[in-house]
Amino acid sequence: MATARRALSSFSEKLANPANMVQSYISRSNDPYLNLSIEHHILQKSPPDSVVLFLYTNRPCIVIGRNQNPWTEVNLGILNAATQGGRIPKDTEPPGIGHVDLVRRRSGGGAVFHDEGNVNWSITCPMADFTRDKYAEMVVRALRKLGIERARVNERHDIVLDQGHSKRNADPRDTHRTPYTVDDGTLPKPLKVSGSAYKLTRARALHHATTLLSSPNLHIIPQYLRSPAKPFIQARGVESVSSPVGNIGLEITAFQSRLQEEFASMYSKFGKQAVVEIVGDEHLKIPDIRKGYDELRTKDWMWSQTPQFTLTLHLSDDIAIDVNVHHGVIKAFDPKNGQSSTTTIDKVRSVVLDQKLQDIHDWHEFLKSHTIPWNQESAIIADLLEKFMPVPKLSKV
Amino acid sequence: MAARFSAARVARQLTSFAVQRPSFFPSTCAHKTVAPLQRRLFAESAAAKERQYTEDHEWIDISLDGKTATLGISDYAAKALGDVVYIELPQVDMDISAGDAIGAVESVKSASDILTPISGKVTEVNSVLEEKPGSINKDPEGEGWIAKIAIEGEPEGKTMNKEEYTAFTEEA
Repeated sequence: MATARRALSSFSEKLANPANMVQSYISRSNDPYLNLSIEHHILQKSPPDSVVLFLYTNRPCIVIGRNQNPWTEVNLGILNAATQGGRIPKDTEPPGIGHVDLVRRRSGGGAVFHDEGNVNWSITCPMADFTRDKYAEMVVRALRKLGIERARVNERHDIVLDQGHSKRNADPRDTHRTPYTVDDGTLPKPLKVSGSAYKLTRARALHHATTLLSSPNLHIIPQYLRSPAKPFIQARGVESVSSPVGNIGLEITAFQSRLQEEFASMYSKFGKQAVVEIVGDEHLKIPDIRKGYDELRTKDWMWSQTPQFTLTLHLSDDIAIDVNVHHGVIKAFDPKNGQSSTTTIDKVRSVVLDQKLQDIHDWHEFLKSHTIPWNQESAIIADLLEKFMPVPKLSKV
Repeated sequence: MAARFSAARVARQLTSFAVQRPSFFPSTCAHKTVAPLQRRLFAESAAAKERQYTEDHEWIDISLDGKTATLGISDYAAKALGDVVYIELPQVDMDISAGDAIGAVESVKSASDILTPISGKVTEVNSVLEEKPGSINKDPEGEGWIAKIAIEGEPEGKTMNKEEYTAFTEEA
């Protein structure tokens, strides 16, 4: 115990020590909340002029961007089959890979799927040192040294594998073009293998990205990232841009070591040996990391951080209801375009107005317990809400 | 002791930031110049003291009676961020302290904090930005204001007037 505590305080001290200009960490934990919180701690505490590489792999989870809507981005009904009370819509049979966590990160960008075949890399650096492509280029150099000659950085700052059939001339040092690059818009489309997002603060920039090395779940990723509610929701905030994905086909440890070497050689000019360390679950005992971890796991952050949106419920051919949600609270529940209301709709409205979505885990139960007259109309409303606006319980691991 | 350490840290960050500032914001924009402000002078509604700028590229107008402040991001910052796709505004009635992140701007997959240089209570937010985030790119120092704040004190940390700020952003 005492030894563990000493090791932890030495992590915080090393991280913040201005002498450690180049630092490199690998996490043993597969907890997405913890890894994101260690990363956030690095962003906040590393010395202003330092550059820090952090590598981690999460258990299966979906990570959405800071300003995204989980109801439009994620097929929430299949995340956690066990706790959904058996009311999973039949058209989305759970793919059966077990529990999948849902996480909202602090950086921008779109929704991504993580699993044990994916390595996340992150770089924290001074703003003055930062461009959106710089570190994706570093990763492409590392990949090419491992024989992945089709890897390049695309115009969205992501890494793709070119799928062109014929080989053309390309400068091997050009990280934005390969011999297999085809002209924009022509087939075959490159496969995305790494997606980037950024968090920028006063003086520091964080660039983090996924890297699909050997995911066994490629075929079901689209099922998780396709929401049945999407056609019925008008949302502010950030929409994902979906791309065909592929596996790079490398071993995790080989990629990690190569990337650490590439990073070290990029900063060898700093002269001093880089700090290279392993972190893990015990780092949750560091108060700042614990704080970030708890924040990420609040219902407020997960659900109520969602930008304003309106869900339209089509009760019948004649009646549709617009449900407006602002800061996670239902602000309107009104028949569309001046259609006339019904007693049941009025009753449901009186119950759901000003209600926080994050506290409703079962719409049938919720409406019934508020003595909504149970008729065909109220059952349809509950079904639609459960299908399009479920709030699955977050894991308590 | 801890407080002094963190103050020193901030000072150090500010210094290194000032030196390296031209690429504070990523990509394209280091060379672009700031659009002239004069055209907007008559559009300002309430009488205000001279506009102040922070090294984080926020601007702040304080009313003549010193009771309210209007906050936004500078033309330079808006150009540097690129196309803004979402602005997370503070909530009305929120109490804020100088140095707090009171919101965030998202552009090109990047979330950037909006920092307030002054303490107070948020009295109004520019909800047009919720619907049309891109309008902050069009007129960041006018119609694209972010929040109005009821204040009692002065801004904390370094602030600059227009000329000083322009020099700050042009300095190589």
